Formats: sequence, structure tokens, C-alpha cells
Amino acid sequence: MSIKYKILKAIDVAGLNFLRPVILLCYGEEPEEQIRKIGLFIAVPIMAFCLFLYLWGLFAPMHKTKSGEVPTPSVVWDSAKGVWAFHVREKNKANAYNLEGDSRDKLLEQAQTRLSELEPMVARVNEQLAEADGAMQSSLASKIEPIKAELDSSKNAMREAQKARQADLQARAKAIAADDTAAKEKLLEDYRAHLAQIETERESLRSYEEQIDEIHNADFPQRAEAIRAQSAIAEERQYLVKLIDTLENNRQQKLSDIETRLEGFESSYYEASGADLLKHAKSITRTESLMVNAADSEYAKPMTLPDQVLRSVACVFAGFLVASLIAIPVGIVCGLSPIMMSALTPFIALFKPVSPIVWLPIFFIIVGGFIPDPDKHWLIAGLAELPLIGWMKINPAFIASALTVAMCSLWPTLVNTALGVASIDKDHINVARVLRLGFWSRLIKIVIPSSLPLTFAGLRISLGVGWMVLIAAELLSSSEGLGKFVWDMFNNGSSQTFAQMFVVVFVVGIIGLLLDRIMIVFQRLVSFDESPTSI
Amino acid sequence: MKQLLSKITLWATALGLFSATLTAEMLDVEKTELKFGFIKLTDCAPIVIAKEKGFFSEEGLQVEVIAQPNWKTLLDNVISGNLDGAHMLSGQPIAATIGFGTKAHIITAFTMDLNGNGITVSNAIWEAMQENDWDLDVDQPEHPISADALKPIVEEKLIAGEKLQMGMVFPVSTHNYELRYWLAASGIHPGMYTTTDIGGRTDAEVELSVTPPPMMPATLEAGNIQGYCVGEPWNQQAVAKGIGVPVTSNYDIWKNNPEKVFGVTYKWAQENPQTHLAVVKALIRAGKWLDATDENGVLVNREEAARILSRPDYVGADYDVIKNSMTGYFYFQKTDKRPMPDFNVFFKYYCTYPWYSDGIWFLTQMRRWGQITEAKPAEWYFETAKEVYKPAVYLEAAKLLLAEGNIDEADIPWDTDGYKAPTSDFIDGILYDAKDPIGYLNSHDIGNKD
Repeated sequence: MSIKYKILKAIDVAGLNFLRPVILLCYGEEPEEQIRKIGLFIAVPIMAFCLFLYLWGLFAPMHKTKSGEVPTPSVVWDSAKGVWAFHVREKNKANAYNLEGDSRDKLLEQAQTRLSELEPMVARVNEQLAEADGAMQSSLASKIEPIKAELDSSKNAMREAQKARQADLQARAKAIAADDTAAKEKLLEDYRAHLAQIETERESLRSYEEQIDEIHNADFPQRAEAIRAQSAIAEERQYLVKLIDTLENNRQQKLSDIETRLEGFESSYYEASGADLLKHAKSITRTESLMVNAADSEYAKPMTLPDQVLRSVACVFAGFLVASLIAIPVGIVCGLSPIMMSALTPFIALFKPVSPIVWLPIFFIIVGGFIPDPDKHWLIAGLAELPLIGWMKINPAFIASALTVAMCSLWPTLVNTALGVASIDKDHINVARVLRLGFWSRLIKIVIPSSLPLTFAGLRISLGVGWMVLIAAELLSSSEGLGKFVWDMFNNGSSQTFAQMFVVVFVVGIIGLLLDRIMIVFQRLVSFDESPTSI
Repeated sequence: MKQLLSKITLWATALGLFSATLTAEMLDVEKTELKFGFIKLTDCAPIVIAKEKGFFSEEGLQVEVIAQPNWKTLLDNVISGNLDGAHMLSGQPIAATIGFGTKAHIITAFTMDLNGNGITVSNAIWEAMQENDWDLDVDQPEHPISADALKPIVEEKLIAGEKLQMGMVFPVSTHNYELRYWLAASGIHPGMYTTTDIGGRTDAEVELSVTPPPMMPATLEAGNIQGYCVGEPWNQQAVAKGIGVPVTSNYDIWKNNPEKVFGVTYKWAQENPQTHLAVVKALIRAGKWLDATDENGVLVNREEAARILSRPDYVGADYDVIKNSMTGYFYFQKTDKRPMPDFNVFFKYYCTYPWYSDGIWFLTQMRRWGQITEAKPAEWYFETAKEVYKPAVYLEAAKLLLAEGNIDEADIPWDTDGYKAPTSDFIDGILYDAKDPIGYLNSHDIGNKD
């Protein structure tokens, strides 16, 4: 029995209450009731999500835009796989730079075999594409030519007619006497009719043009498929070529090259004498410094989506930490002292509604002022040395984004903490007075514990706000992260762009959900009452 | 090759010989990990290629190549030291050095490419232009297309109290000057910059506004602008999406005009002279690789380059779209594909040399449109160009490459004074002689005269 309650308690604290009926069912408690609850809390959401995917897949292809069709779930999934494949390839290249000995030789061999397998396929897909291209061109030509011929002939006929009418009007205009008002009015009327006719003629041509455009813009699945096949092979080939090149010129190879050269210089130094000695000494020291550089070198890997996600999460937590460090103490002070509350209210009211888009440039300039030369600044250099976050290359853009997150997300915590502190049970305060507790013990033993549930509710909202703000901040500051990924993909304007945006929607959503869950756990841990937490 | 070199080294040392060329193979760079910024345009190719083909790594450099959202952020990041160097508009180092916009001493020792831009108008404007000039209403209209057919549209709009809106990428961009040149050559006033009007719209008949290159097609489609001047692949993108028609390339406005440069701050170059040299070496090799041709004059490496550029962390547009202009073709309409072998030039015509005369042309345009507010003497133009363009660094890098056998003697203009021969290869045929900037300014109808 105790295990059951432990599990139920754990589920409750973790905010996973939808699992409760499953556990109870396992213990055979009120099976019908549990099955009903499982249906409600698990089956219904899953079915709703499936329905959503089905409707999405059904309706997406119906809406055509100039950037392509709205992607269906399967296209988005493919695109997500593409993003992942890019990450894996870049990671492999970076690893290849560091490999030594057997593992290097093995990978090199693997890559070379795969490359030789690809070579015949390259020719084949190119052929297929050429075929598809030819088929498309001839089909286009056969469809367009008749319309085009009609368009051209009617266009020419109309132009001839236009010219004739124009000439006719011109001739009549010349013949009209200066005082012949009636004729003049007639001419004006005819000129208007002439213009109107041009307009209608133009209209009538437009339908032909639209037909031609439609034929041009129509999908040609065979060709699209051939292009996809060609791209997949060409991209893999390019990756393998670069991988092999990296393996052949990786750090180990460079070091051994430089070492041989150094040995040569050293032997010639000891053979030489007199004035030449210094010259040789110079080559030795220079080669030595080259060696140090080569030994430290790392493959310059571009940031890929998984790295960017981690960096974004780090950034939001950095901002969240700063926000909490400011908001909780200030909130407590406000809750304790009505004077402080009254003094700070205008600031809260004034700054709370300001958009992150406005804060970011301000923080960007301020941070830039503190860090004029990022490469040599102690903070940046120090952070780059840290074990877990060193690879993130924290730079002023990261700091500015984190501060923007902090600025926008501190308000819910501040207000909630103040409210929590202000609404402490009067009995607790009276007890404290009777016990003659000092200010600090009153603060730590009574005020903070009883305000914690509300504070954490505030923190949870803050983290949610921070996560939303962060994407915008990164987009503006071009600090490597999800925001920059979104912006780069949008700027790519490729056929993949649209689908990649949808990938980001899910990535952002899932991470936001996880962050929220984490906060719920904390909130449950500090709530000693039975007050339910919203999902 | 590597093995051969090290064998030679051993051999040479065994004989007790000392060869300077072999030590020159690798410079003692001050900094090995570099970050370069770029904008998603095909003309960032030299930087990308130098990285992907291993030219940087052969110089002992590990370079991160990072996409920037717009030209302003890119410049700010170079100035603040977040980036070591970047793919820049030719006008950017000059404007920064003379203090138009953000003030900072930026220099360049490498011109990245020639040509490569186009002017695209919306479908509606193109139809109206065809109405005005029936010769344009054929599958392959004769080039160059001037803005003459656009003028009646502009005038009609002015009567209705509207101004045609067009986009360009940055106030000191080549695109801004080219678009202005094209409009002004047909008597359309594109507006003047003044001390109070930094948007450059005083007296404008067509209003130009700034939009980052990758945003151009979307902005055109949204109807905020009716045309734009931008680099590739954003003109081909308009054709592919069917939202606009490129009417002219900048090759028609000025044959073989300078386009992008590789810019670093003066301070960075002072602190890292060997690194700068190594970077320029790698970039020259990348340029040569990009322009390599077979015996029939066909560009051999461009398809591979287009494939590399289509990676999502570089330009990222579809390979098909990038391939067009990179392999020497250009779609003016879906029905109008033309060979344009010089659409992007990365090495030919001594393209990579940092010419003073290029810098002076940009200075004259800044003066012509009022970005430089007061008249300057000719000497000022010469001196400013010298402050920004650093052929000495370029020539030193070229010398090292020649010694290593990576380039040919004929690839580099060794004895030039930095001024190209006067040319009248402009759409309006006006002669440009860099040695007479004031005379050149005065030869235009629209714009400031000194």
C-alpha cells in the first residue's frame, strides 16, 4: 500500500496527474471509474492530436502561396529529419578533425567506400533530372504554344486596330474647324471610347496570360522528385568529400607535418654556424609557435539547431536567474512596506508593458559599452573557459538577450511575491510578535515560507514570459539560438523554409512545455496546502 | 602535395640549403580562430569557398562563417569586435571611415566580386512598362532596358499624388547608387540626401527605402515596394516565385562594376597583420577557384560552389535558384533565360585587387546624392581612397601565393598605380575618370555638382 501512495505522491508532485488512473487501475481500484478517467485524460487528448494532424494534412495542400504549399505533417517531419541530418554531418566533421590513429583510418576508409558507391548514382540522378527537365519543357511548350500563338495574334490584331483608330482620330482632329464645338465633343467622346476599348482589350488578353502563368506555375511532380533525389545525393557527396578532406588534413596530420619541418630546422641549426645561426633559430621558434597554434586548433563548426536550442535554454535561465535575484528581494520589501510598494508602483506600471523589441537595443548598447573588445574582455574569456558552457561562446549578444529576458520577465515574480508577503496570515505575525522574533528570523521563518507558493506561481509565469521574449530577442540580436535559426531559415527563402518554421513551432512548444513542467514541480514542492495548480 | 613538400623540405635541409619560399608557406598568424560575417547573397562565395575548400585551414586558420541579419548589424559587429571581418558593401568601409553613418576606420585589401545585382520590378509595373514601350512586350526584349518606359508611370503616379516606392539594401550600398544611376539616366529624380533628410527623399520622384536583401521578395509581394535593386539570388527568387520581373542587371548599368569587399577594422589589421595577410591569401585562392575555366571558357567549379552556397547555414536558397546566376545564366522572365557569363566575376579582370578608382567612384556617388554634404577638393578623394583601400597588403599576399605557385604572374596587376583606365561603359555612356572626380560629378544632369 505504501508504495502505491508514494507513486501517487510522486506523480502529484511531478504534475503528471493524468497518470493517476493508470496506477490506480494497476492496483485494481474502481476499474470502471479508472478506465473512464483514462479515456478522458489520455485517450481524448491523443485522439484530438491525431485529428489535428489529419485535418492539417487534409487542408494544408489546399492553400497555395508563392512560397509554396503549406507543408503537411509528413513534409514537416522530413524537414525535421533534414535539420537533424545537417547537425549530425557537421558534428561528424568536427569530430573528424580531432580523430587520431585507427579510428581516423577506419572512418576515412568508410567515407571513401561510401563516396565510391555514390559516384555512379550521381550520374544516374543527373540523367533522371535531365530527362524530367526535357519532359517538362516539351509538355510546357506543347501546352503553352497554342495559347501563346492565340495571344500573340490577338495582341497584334488589337495593336493594329489601336493604331488605326489612333490614326483615324488624328486625321479627324486635323479636319475639325476651330469653332466646330459639336465635332469637338464627338471627338472627345470617341477618344474616350477608344481608351475604354483599349482597356477592355487589355482585359481580354489577361485571361490568356493567366492561363500561361498557371501552366508555368503548375507542379511537375516528376521533376520535383528528380531534383530532390539529385540534391540528396549531391549533398551527401559534398559532405563526404569535405569529411575526407578534414580527415586527411586534421589536427594530427598538421602536427606531424609541422614536426617533420621542425626536426629539419633543428638539424640544420646544429649544423650551421656563425651569422646563420640566428636565422635558423628564428625558423625554429616560429615553427614552434605554429605547432602550439595547430595543437590548440578546433574545427570551426557552425551552430546547428540542437546547439542553438541548448544555448537558448541557457540564455533563458540566465535571464530568469537575474530576474529572480531582482524580483524576489524587491517583492519582499514591497510586501513588507506599504511605503515601498507605493513608491515602486509607478515604475512597475510604467515598465511592465514595454516590449522586448524596445529593451533589446537599449541593453545591446549598454552591454557593448561595458565590453568594448569582446575577445579580450575578462568576462567573455572567463566564461569561454568554463567546462559546461564554454562551447556556447557567450558573447555580448547573449548577455543583452538574457538581460532583455530578465527585464521582461521579472514583473510577475515581483508582483506575486509582494502579494504573497502582504497577505500573510495575521495570526502568524501575531505569534511572531509574541515570541519576540527579530526581523531576520521573522523574515526567514515566517514571511518567506508563507509567501513561497505565490512566489513560485510568479516564477512559473516569469519563465513562460521569458521563453517567449527570448525568441524575439535572439532574432533581433542575432545571438545564436532558436530566434536566429528562425530568422536565418526565413531569410533562406528556400523550398524548405516553410516546413522549417513549423519544425521550430514544435521545438519551441515542447521546450516551453518542459520548462513549465519543471516549474510546476517546484511549485508543488513548496505548496504545503492542497491548493490545486492549474495545468 | 603535402608529402611532396615535406620531402622537399627534408631534402633542402639535408643539403644545408635554406629556401625562403618554403617558410613562406605558412604565416605565423597572431590569431587562429576567426569569425567572419556575411549576408545571404551569392557574392559571399569567396569567404564560404575559402572555408569549405580548405584554403583558410591551409593557412592555419579555423574560420567560423556567421550569417548576419542586415548590413547595419554586420558593420556594428565588425566595429564592436564580435566579428573579425566581413563581407561588406564597397560603400561601407568608405562611409564608416569618413563618418557617414557609424564612424569607424574600416579598411579593405580585397575586392570580392564584380557585378551580380539586378533591378526587379513588380509584375504590374512590368506590364505598364510594356504598355509604354511595345518593344518590351516580347519574350526576349532587347537589352539594356533603361528606365525610359518607367518614367510615364512615375509621372502618372506623381499626378495622383503618389510616389513609386522602390527598395535597396543600405544607404551606402552599390544597389542604392546603381538604382539611382539607372533612374537618373532616364531623367527620374531619385531624391537627395541632406543634413536633415538622412532618408534621401528630398525632391524625390521615386522614393527609395532600405530593406535587407533576403526580405526583398517578401516586401515586394506585400506591395510595400514596387521594385528593388538587390544581389543574387533575390532577383531569380522573384522569377521563380512569379512575383516580379528583373528588368536589368547592374552589368548593363556599368560593365564590371565593383561590388563587395572584404572589410576589417584598421585596429584589427594593425594588431593582426600576419593573420590579415593569411586571410587575403586564402580569399585570392578562393576567387581564382571560383573563376577557373576549362579550355572552352566554361566555368568549371561554379556548380559545386552553388551546391555549397545552398547549404542552410550559407545562402540557403534552393540550389536551382542559386545555380542560374552562378553558372553564368540569368532568367529575366520564365521565358527569357540568357547566358550571362560575367554576371558574377570573382577573379577575372584583376577583380580582386583593391582599386583606388573603385573607392573614388563610390565617393563621387556619395557626393552626387548629398551623403557628403559639402564640396571636397579632388585631393580629398584620392586621400580617402588611400585610407580605405590597401593594395600593399593585397600585393604582399599575392607575392607569397606566386612564390608558392598558387597563382600565375599574369593574374595580378603588379605595377598598377591603383587606378583603372577611364571608362564610359555606363548605361548613359558618361566617361568616368577616377583621376578627375570633380569633372565626373559635373558631367551628370541630376545630383550635386561642385
